[in-house]
Amino acid sequence: MNKKSPVYVLSFMAAICLVFGTGIAIVNYATQGLLAKNAVLHRNRVLCRAFDLPVDGTSADAYQQAVDQHLVAEEQDGRAVYRRTTPGHESLGFEFGGMGFWDRIEGVIVLSPDLQTVRNIQFLDQKETPGLGARIEESWFTDQFKGLQIDWDNPRGDRLVVGASPDPDPKNRVDAITGATQTSMALGRFLNDELDRIRSQYSQPLNPEPLNP
Amino acid sequence: MASSYTKILKDGLLGENPIYRQVLGICSALAVTNLLANTLFMCFGVIFATALTNFTVSLLRNHIPKRIRMIVQVVIIASYVMMIDILIKAVAPDIHRFIGPYVGLIITNCIIMGRAEAFASQNKPLPSLVDGLACGLGYSAVLISIAVIREIMGFGTLLGFALPARDLWWTQWTIMVMPPGAFFMLAIMTWFARAKLVKQEAK
Repeated sequence: MNKKSPVYVLSFMAAICLVFGTGIAIVNYATQGLLAKNAVLHRNRVLCRAFDLPVDGTSADAYQQAVDQHLVAEEQDGRAVYRRTTPGHESLGFEFGGMGFWDRIEGVIVLSPDLQTVRNIQFLDQKETPGLGARIEESWFTDQFKGLQIDWDNPRGDRLVVGASPDPDPKNRVDAITGATQTSMALGRFLNDELDRIRSQYSQPLNPEPLNP
Repeated sequence: MASSYTKILKDGLLGENPIYRQVLGICSALAVTNLLANTLFMCFGVIFATALTNFTVSLLRNHIPKRIRMIVQVVIIASYVMMIDILIKAVAPDIHRFIGPYVGLIITNCIIMGRAEAFASQNKPLPSLVDGLACGLGYSAVLISIAVIREIMGFGTLLGFALPARDLWWTQWTIMVMPPGAFFMLAIMTWFARAKLVKQEAK
């Protein structure tokens, strides 16, 4: 067949796409089990870090055991909520998410039971610029959130402030990331939105009893 | 025949090294070299993609319509890179979280397209496979050298293992794990390698 004919060109392209598409589908199918296991392990690790749970080892089972032992999970409007009922460590963890600079950022924010103090924040998924926005996962950034006081009296977008603030010593502010202003601003924006959602869901006094004794 | 393969390997590793001779693939060379483990996975990805792309393009070279050869090459490269991406995500998820964005960028790595167009589309499959391997190995040799130096100087570790009594004799150079560290190292290595090559060629 003439290699210049449109029929040959189209058929060749279709065949190439079919062969390589099938190859990718096979690799994807063959690794599905591993990918699912990795996703569970990643979530458990993030939860252990966020709630500062004691983990006996580094295996997937150890993380699963720590989560099962210390946390009770429930779902609110399609979002997971975690409750830690260990005496002296009572806290609530909320999955949150919003649009970052490039794509959605997902994470877990752990609050005191009265929703006044941030205990920790950890990220489940983000696709920000490596070396810039992606640094939101680094401990120097997330550690800033520990002990932060949520100022519920502030206007809606300023309950927590990421970046500059007119108040020289605010208890509700963390430093933004140099070179990643858009990621920092986006995080501040959707974190405040999510805090409002969380408060509206938990406006009633919280049940001090564990869900599953 | 054997000597021609040796020449292809030598060219890829030294004489025509993609990084310091052809100045290709610099983006990832700068981005993923602050930890050796990340670098090794990136190198595996590039070697795999370059070798198999070269082999496939060479195998199909007499059947690919000339007008759409670039599109076909991109489809082949992208497919192999996606397979690598899925494999790294499955086997080493922690490393994938760090180098994931760069694995995707292998698709646009100039080395792969450059070798497919310059070598594989004009040569037989086996020499093309060796050329792809050689270029991938040449790229890897430079990246690994930079990564070893940056990790030792920046973190005081190698492959995550701390150097003996590190705290007693070593102060970590934070700049080495930051982007400027990569620029300095790459420039120094390119300078050194080219100076050597110029001397050799003069002889």
